[in-house]
Amino acid sequence: MGAVAPAAMSLVVRNLQRAVPLRRARLREKVQAVRRALGVQRFDLGVVCVDNRKIQQINRIYRDKNTPTDVLSFPFYENLKAGDIPQPEFPDDYNLGDIFLGVEYIFQHCKENEDYYDVLTVTATHGLCHLLGFTHSTEAEWQKMYQKEKQVLEELSKHTGTRLQPLSRDLF
Amino acid sequence: MLPLLRCVPRVLCTAVAGIRAAAPSLPLLQPASRPCARPFGLLSVRAGSVQLPGLLRPWGPCGCGCGCGGLHTEGDKAFVQFLNDEIKEEKKIQKYKSLPKMSGGWELEVNGTEAKLVQKVAGERVTVTFNINNSIPPAYDGEEGPSEGQKVEEQEPELTSTPNFVVEVVKDGSNKALVLDCHFPEDEIGQEEEDQSDIFSIKEVSFQSTGDSDWKDTNYTLSTDSLDWGLYDHLMDFLADRGVDNTFADELVELSTALEHQEYITFLEDLKGFVKSQ
Repeated sequence: MGAVAPAAMSLVVRNLQRAVPLRRARLREKVQAVRRALGVQRFDLGVVCVDNRKIQQINRIYRDKNTPTDVLSFPFYENLKAGDIPQPEFPDDYNLGDIFLGVEYIFQHCKENEDYYDVLTVTATHGLCHLLGFTHSTEAEWQKMYQKEKQVLEELSKHTGTRLQPLSRDLF
Repeated sequence: MLPLLRCVPRVLCTAVAGIRAAAPSLPLLQPASRPCARPFGLLSVRAGSVQLPGLLRPWGPCGCGCGCGGLHTEGDKAFVQFLNDEIKEEKKIQKYKSLPKMSGGWELEVNGTEAKLVQKVAGERVTVTFNINNSIPPAYDGEEGPSEGQKVEEQEPELTSTPNFVVEVVKDGSNKALVLDCHFPEDEIGQEEEDQSDIFSIKEVSFQSTGDSDWKDTNYTLSTDSLDWGLYDHLMDFLADRGVDNTFADELVELSTALEHQEYITFLEDLKGFVKSQ
C-alpha cells in the first residue's frame, strides 16, 4: 500500500527569463487545471519558464540538439508506462518532475489568433504527458499520447469554452 | 598587469595579507635612511630611556618632507604606491564611468552607499531602496583560486553586486505602505538549484506606516518561506505590474555593481589620502 499523500502537493512556478512578460498566477491556474484533468494534483511539479538561450542550452546538453524548442520534460519516474499514475511508497516520492517551458520560443511561434496562455496550456499538457511516460517516437506511441492530450484539453475546454488542440497533433 | 586587490570579495584580513604579499622587498617598518644596526633579537627599550625602539621611530616631524606631522613609515610609502597602482587598475576596468540608467522611468537618488529608485505609477508611488554595502556574495571553493594551468589574469572574476532591495508601494492619499523585502538568490554549492531559481525572490512582506521612518517589529510580517505558492505568484505579478520584474532586477544588478565599484574606488582614493595625510 502506498504512502498517504497530502490533499494537494506543490506546483512550483519559476520564471528565469525577461524576454517575455509572464503572468505567473495565470500560468499557475492553467497548469493546475491540467494537473486536475490528468488526476495528478497529488504530485509535486516544477514548471520553469526560460528564454531561447536557456532552452537551447538544455536541448543541447540533454538531447544533443543545438536549437531552442517549446518544452523539455525531466521526469521523476523515468520508466513509467504511458498512462500509469505512480504509486509512491514514500511522501517524498509524490513528484512528477520538472517541465521547462521555452516561453520565448512559444511566444515567437504563437499565431495572431491564438491566445498565448492557451498555447502555454497546450504545451504544458504535452510536457506533463511526457512526465507520465507518454512518448511519440513511434506511431503507436504517438496515438496514445495524442488521445491523452485530446482528452485533457477537452476536459479543460468544458470549463473555459476554448477549443484547444494537442501539441502532438502534427507530430506524426 | 598587476593582480587586482579584489580577486575575491573583500575581507579585511585577506586584503591586508594581499598588501603585505605585494610589498617591496624592504622590511616594512625600517626607516629608509637608517640600516638596522642590531639583529632583531636584541631590540629592546632601555629602562628609563625616552627613545622609541629604532624600528618604530618616525622620521621626526614628518621626516619625508611633506610637513604634515603624521607618521610616515616605509610601509605607508609602499601602501600608497600600492594603492596608486590599484586605483589605476580599477579605473581601467570600470565598466561604467557614470551610473547606468534604469529603463521604465525610475528616478535615482543616491546617498552614499544607499540608492533609491522612485516611480509614480497611476496613483501609486513605488520606491525601491538598496544598499551596496556587503552586497557582493562570497565566492565558493570552486571559484576562488585559479585552476591548474590557468593564468591569474584569466581567473579575475567579474564581481557583481546583488543587494537585497526593499520595495515600498504607497497608494495616493494613504499613510500605509506595502513593503516587500526582496533578495537575489545566493550562490549555492549545488549549482543546479541556483540555475532554477527565480532571478529575484520576495522574502518578507508587511505593512508599515508612511509616517514612521523606522521599521516596526510589531507589525505583522509575512515570511514567504512557507507561503502558499499561489499567493506568492500573485505577489510577484503585483510587483511586475509596478515595474519590478526580471528586467528591473537585472538592471538593478548593473546599477548596484557600478555604484559599488565607484564607491570602492573612492574609498581607495580616500585611503590613499589618509595614509599620505596630505
